[in-house]
Amino acid sequence: MSNNNKTGVLGKILIILVLLYLYAPIFVLMLLSFNESRYNSLPFAFTLDWYRDLAEDRALMEAAKNSMVLALITGIICVILGTMFILGQRYLARRTEGIFNSIVMMPMSIPWLIMGLSSLLMIRQLGFEKNMIFVALGHIVISLPYSLLVLRARISSLDKSLEEMSASLGAGPLTTFRRITLPALAPAMIAGGFLSFMISFDNFPISYFLMPSGYSTLPIEIQLSIKFGFTPEINALSTVIIGFSLVVLAIVGLIMRSNIKSLVGGDN
Amino acid sequence: MIKDRRTIMTWPAMLTLLLFALFPLVIMFYTSFISDATGEFSMANYAKFFSNLTYIKVTGTSILISLCVTLVSLVIAYPLAYIMAKKLKGLKNIILVLVIIPFFTNQLVRVYSWLIFLQDGGILNRLFMTFGLAENGLGILYTKAAVIIGLTHAFFPYMVVTIFMALERLDDAMLEASRSLGASKTTTFMKVIFPLSMPGVISGVTIVFIPCLGSFVEPRILGGTGGLTIGNIIEDQFFEIYGWNFGAAIAFLLLAMVLICMGGLNSAGKRWQV
Amino acid sequence: MKLAKKMLAFGMTAIMVLSMTACGGTKTAQESGSADADKGEVTKLYVVNWKDYLSDDKDFVEKFEKENNCEIVNTYMDSEEDLLTKLKTGGEGEIDVCLPNCSILPAAIEAGLLEPIDTAKVPNFEQLFERFQTQKECIGADGKLYAVPFVWGSTSIAYNTDNLKEAPASVKDFFDEKYKGRIAFRDDYNDAIMTAAMALGQDPNNPSDLDAIKALLIKQKALNKTYWQTGDEFSKLFASGQVDLGLMWSGQTATMRAEGQPIAFVVPADGGIGWVDNWAIPASSKNKDLAYKFINAMLDKDTQKAWVEKGGPAPANQAAAEALDPEYAKQCCIDEESLSHLVFMEYRTDEVKQTWNDLWTEVKAS
Repeated sequence: MSNNNKTGVLGKILIILVLLYLYAPIFVLMLLSFNESRYNSLPFAFTLDWYRDLAEDRALMEAAKNSMVLALITGIICVILGTMFILGQRYLARRTEGIFNSIVMMPMSIPWLIMGLSSLLMIRQLGFEKNMIFVALGHIVISLPYSLLVLRARISSLDKSLEEMSASLGAGPLTTFRRITLPALAPAMIAGGFLSFMISFDNFPISYFLMPSGYSTLPIEIQLSIKFGFTPEINALSTVIIGFSLVVLAIVGLIMRSNIKSLVGGDN
Repeated sequence: MIKDRRTIMTWPAMLTLLLFALFPLVIMFYTSFISDATGEFSMANYAKFFSNLTYIKVTGTSILISLCVTLVSLVIAYPLAYIMAKKLKGLKNIILVLVIIPFFTNQLVRVYSWLIFLQDGGILNRLFMTFGLAENGLGILYTKAAVIIGLTHAFFPYMVVTIFMALERLDDAMLEASRSLGASKTTTFMKVIFPLSMPGVISGVTIVFIPCLGSFVEPRILGGTGGLTIGNIIEDQFFEIYGWNFGAAIAFLLLAMVLICMGGLNSAGKRWQV
Repeated sequence: MKLAKKMLAFGMTAIMVLSMTACGGTKTAQESGSADADKGEVTKLYVVNWKDYLSDDKDFVEKFEKENNCEIVNTYMDSEEDLLTKLKTGGEGEIDVCLPNCSILPAAIEAGLLEPIDTAKVPNFEQLFERFQTQKECIGADGKLYAVPFVWGSTSIAYNTDNLKEAPASVKDFFDEKYKGRIAFRDDYNDAIMTAAMALGQDPNNPSDLDAIKALLIKQKALNKTYWQTGDEFSKLFASGQVDLGLMWSGQTATMRAEGQPIAFVVPADGGIGWVDNWAIPASSKNKDLAYKFINAMLDKDTQKAWVEKGGPAPANQAAAEALDPEYAKQCCIDEESLSHLVFMEYRTDEVKQTWNDLWTEVKAS
């Protein structure tokens, strides 16, 4: 790290440019949620009307609730399935491990459009009707690989012998899990669950194909409004979501820092 | 260790995947052989795809756009992830969070914001005009460039995260060792850092390329008259004219292409690593 | 090993509990629906309709619910095909009344999904324009009436009155070089092909030379700013001054003008595309009498007049149309003269749809 300064300046410029690129449209959308014009046209005239409309829009609120529940279920199930898989996988024979792994990670290498429409075809072919369980399953299947990715990165640093040592010292499996495995995996479980939650919350293609009539999620409502009339109400909603997730993120960050780091022993 | 019972723990995930990911694909494969017109088992859907140059052309365009997006993403994401992982100490987590935050807004909304941002008479246009950079009308919106800008924005942060994670795991001591053994910075990068970050790069490329290839909303909104992708064609078959089985055939061909690309990429990645 | 078992048990329980809560959620929704009907307190009328299409209009809903001691439950469709799917997959009593148009009506009638309409139960039927009383697609092969025309409208030329000195007078203007880069054509295979057929003097519903249409549309592609796909997209393109000319719906043009946009609508003498939305009662409805009352209320002269004045589409009720301010009617192109220029969209078989869609895909990919 000798000529740190030169890379430092270039690096800073890169970071600033990337952040500008990332935030330019977000900033625009937040700004326009306070703009009077329904057509997003300038000049800017401040108003809070869109937030009031948002609070009164029952369909949108209902969809937001649905999205939240769906994403929560997806996140929790993904963490459970993912953690179990990743723990059990270590004891698989090498070849089986490879096969299992490629099957579980498969949805990541398939466009969601195809995942959605193939599930729809299955539902129809088997004579089922669309329902929320299929939507949830569709979301779980596509989110699972992402939480596995996070969990796997963590478990590779967890020494199997540590658990075995704990067991040989007389700790029961549950104790070992609670005292050794869980603390080591916890940050990855939270991160993995969070990632699955986000993927489900934002997912449009799967819901688009599988959603039964009469139900709706936020992305579907947003697509409908793009189709039939996009008002700054959607901008207001997005602004609220960003604000809300910043709070969640801050809380998760605080827990991660104070609790789990000390549990793990503060390594990296 | 023959048949460790602890492997039972892998079953729930496996079962879910087999039933709700693999099985639907098998069904899709089956329906792709059923003619929409007659309901009989035939190759008609595939024959239709290959006998019409339009479909092949649109597929080509879609692949090209996805490759562009992947390449642009890689060029931006790798240096960023590298700087974050190796140069920044306390700041890196903050930057990581900043990269992730845009994901809290819905993707469709972000695409829509690009539309507003890029349009003639829009904010970027006004900005350029005040600096005298553009006379009137940027003309970016409704071009392939707009599609690439929008799709890159949508997916490249994923790539930053995967590469960052791979790079962060690298042992600094190993890099020091390489350097102290007389390897130059470039050599260390080429022989040690880059190969070791390859898994991150591969998952990053996957995570960007695949969704791009299947995208159907973004290109339509940003691409104007030239924004037709293979995803749109599939969507139209399903939602506009009810040619489900033909749609299934196109989807299957798209899937086959994706799998071939991923296979190629993985083996290329492995060769690099060794 | 015990650990594995316990984790498995825990995982399974968690999955089961969660999926059961998910099931529970859907079930209660359905149960509460039927339970209410059983109790006979307030009957629920399940309507499938477009969003903001009168059945969710506050004034209408309040009046109708009060008069009939019922509750209107709206479900929105996002396309005609979506409605057809809902009709096909919807169970007994799930839909009481819905709004199909010509693109799915014949298919729905043939599949036996709709109830024949007894016009004696729809007194306002007699007030409809003559041509709507005998609307081709509403009548099944058995000669029975299966749907009642509700409103109509047109897809034709909308233009910017500030930027264009002369009003466009022909569909050929969409193909005119002088508007290069200022046109927003609609991304829709049906409207594109029908419009091109009109410009070429072919029968828009049965075009004779598809190759010529394709060539014309490919040539037209370069003249566009973009193809618009959603009404919202067009209104923003127009409001931000990016386009002057568009293939647009009469209804949305009226709304935009009411909002102060410099926009006008013309149905030129060489044609415009017409469409009709019709109310129909699914055979599986459990509230047919109430559905009839609902349809009759929808056709009511004053209701229709009030809606069109709020910016709704053109009334099928002749008495309502005649009660309108003639100046206003002409401006909105809902007068009889515009009506006479229109070519009403007809039912297309799957094969025709596929062919037209392929043609349009080829144009877009060119």
